[in-house]
Amino acid sequence: MSGAETRTGVTGDTPLTYAQLLEANNAIQLIGDETYWLCVTRTVQGSKLFPVSAYILLSYANCFYRYPEVLRKIEKSMRAEDLADRCRGIGMKIQAATMGWCLPAFYLLGREWLLSLGMLRPQDAAEDIAYVMDFWRRFQLGWHRNNGHINNSAYGHRSQILPNRRLEVFKADMYPCQPGEPLHEATLSFLATVSQYAFLTACECRLNTANTGPYKLDDDQEMLVRDFMDMGESSLPWLDGVTADVTYNNLTVTMAARGCHFNILDDWGSFESTPEFRGEMLSGVGLYTSDLLTDGHVPVGMGSAEELTATLNKISEELKVAMNKLWLRMADWSRDQLMDAGALMYYASIKDIAHVAGAFEVADWLEIDPRAERLRPILNDEYADMALGELVGYLTLPNQVTSPFEMMKHSNKPQRVLTPLPLSILAGEEYVPSVGPIQPGTTTLDPKNDRYNTTRGTLTLAEYNQAVRDYTPESLTPKYRFLCETWVKYNAHTELANELYKIDQRNSRTLKGRGTGKGPV
Amino acid sequence: MKLYVDNDRYGEAPQFALVEAVHNSVRDLVRRKLKESGDDWASFVFGSADKLITKAEFEAIDAKIVATGHRYSFTSMASVRDRPDIYKPAPDTTTNADTFCFEHPEAVTGPPDAEGRALCGVGDNVSRRPTNIRGIARYIRSSEQVIYYMKNGMPENTVAIIDDSGGTLTAPICEKFHAVICAGGTVRSHLGILTREYGIPCLMNARITGIYEGDEVEIETTAPAKTAEAYQTGQDMPAYIWRIAK
Repeated sequence: MSGAETRTGVTGDTPLTYAQLLEANNAIQLIGDETYWLCVTRTVQGSKLFPVSAYILLSYANCFYRYPEVLRKIEKSMRAEDLADRCRGIGMKIQAATMGWCLPAFYLLGREWLLSLGMLRPQDAAEDIAYVMDFWRRFQLGWHRNNGHINNSAYGHRSQILPNRRLEVFKADMYPCQPGEPLHEATLSFLATVSQYAFLTACECRLNTANTGPYKLDDDQEMLVRDFMDMGESSLPWLDGVTADVTYNNLTVTMAARGCHFNILDDWGSFESTPEFRGEMLSGVGLYTSDLLTDGHVPVGMGSAEELTATLNKISEELKVAMNKLWLRMADWSRDQLMDAGALMYYASIKDIAHVAGAFEVADWLEIDPRAERLRPILNDEYADMALGELVGYLTLPNQVTSPFEMMKHSNKPQRVLTPLPLSILAGEEYVPSVGPIQPGTTTLDPKNDRYNTTRGTLTLAEYNQAVRDYTPESLTPKYRFLCETWVKYNAHTELANELYKIDQRNSRTLKGRGTGKGPV
Repeated sequence: MKLYVDNDRYGEAPQFALVEAVHNSVRDLVRRKLKESGDDWASFVFGSADKLITKAEFEAIDAKIVATGHRYSFTSMASVRDRPDIYKPAPDTTTNADTFCFEHPEAVTGPPDAEGRALCGVGDNVSRRPTNIRGIARYIRSSEQVIYYMKNGMPENTVAIIDDSGGTLTAPICEKFHAVICAGGTVRSHLGILTREYGIPCLMNARITGIYEGDEVEIETTAPAKTAEAYQTGQDMPAYIWRIAK
């Protein structure tokens, strides 16, 4: 039985319970508080190329009208908590930002905006809301199963998701480097180039990059795991053609730093450190690729420090060529195309869970629902900037103002970002359970070419979906999947633990075949 | 007819007049269409409303605002390029380079010091460095300028002055900058993140005046980098910007 089938809101057969509403409201409050902190302390949005605020609001509405159905559809193939296990050990676009924050926040901010427009009541779509929050909670607890928190915020802005066996490989295979060495220079240049490229492919947002960690390497070094995703011909249609020569769709950089502590790794996957990280602190690097068709991370150019240096330089050049082609394409787009790309980038930030389930469909993820599309005419730059500012920063929309006695977390003002579900529906107040099915949508962008860059080459969507459905990484087979870190702690002496460790060590230059033993092979 | 959300014990009007005007217009539209439908709210909200509240109705709201004479401010150059009828005119970024400069009302200024440095503004330092940085100011504010520098190369020692805190407008040329002064954003904005990755000195949220194309400028990159706590508490951590006397 799937998790979805046991939950209220999927079929509407059972009424929402008090406990479910309380859980949903707890999630809504957690996400609202963190949204405010992130938006106030972490960024100011802006672009002269993309109408960012306008596409953000358009995406929020699209999320509100479409997420419940697409999530239920995915759960017919795979439960939220199972999705988390399937993708925790690979560097694809299922990360803290996309699943930990975007999924619930975009959906709920769409609801909040529509509430302020008078197009909803707080109790409308109540079962959808409870379901989306429940999906989020189950996914998040699965994703964070090695640390037990629900998101990075709850962990004190930390994101340690990987098991010991993977971290041992990352540490052992990493090449040390220091300022003045070619590898050091190539790594810094690569990180800058790939970060720039990722902002462009993501239409001026940071969703194609993610950082997890930090992980302690020794008394003076910490490691971040830095993922760069959707770099080639993936399920983002604007990358078709111009990125055909980009070799890797996903790359993971393991980055060691000496002399700083990464004190913040937030739910946008961004980091800060004390003292602030500077290039000269980089002390080690590794490079990997992965996707749904690999069993974990596969080394890239890791045969020697010289090979890694050359590989990083080669990929940097690849990305610069692709970046210029993509930029020229985007600079020529109409405002509607810029809005569609940005809105779909946001809306489809969670699209990879459909790939995980082998259930990705272009119409589900790359179209604007007509119920969102109708709002486009009011989304001029000025209104969008102001309305978004009120929605996530000032919190001055009428629905966000609370009792004057209340003191909001982080601001102490009588405000909240997100409106809870009213418990009055348990007392019989009428409500509407769901927004209903998604409606055929539209886009002004060119249609997606049927090409998907994977570690098994360029596949059609049908081939990609089938390949994913046919493949289960060995570490996720029933024999190994629930051999958690607590079990390893007390059973490292067993042959079963040895086998488990050897799976992660298969591609390791230094630890292949070592198993649970300590020290070099 | 009142909507459910019209009965709000605590809510007040939105902060911005334009937001209030748009939201009031949409609420009026919803009231009108609910009445027209003859449905109760439950049948209307995700039912008849989908057919009755159309894109054309929102176009009418936009047209009504424009008919008052209001012209929208823009952030994306594409917005004013595609709809010059509804946006304020775009500044000419190509022909007035010699006479244009940012003029921030809160820019701090001062007379030239003993080294010939005239204070002309402050910003938020992205990353602290051992020395200040000097270079030649060049405004980069449009796609056309980016294409120009893609074709002709970026002059050495360019201190790019940008009013876009994003990471996309200048993507093809960003790595060639000697330093950046950005008139928007925070040190955590995308341009701040990218300049940190590139190792390019950068001040964000710059409030400057009196810097013209081709001026030599110095930026105080020895100032402490602005922290998240400083943003949250509203603490100022200024890094100064000077124009060097010719």
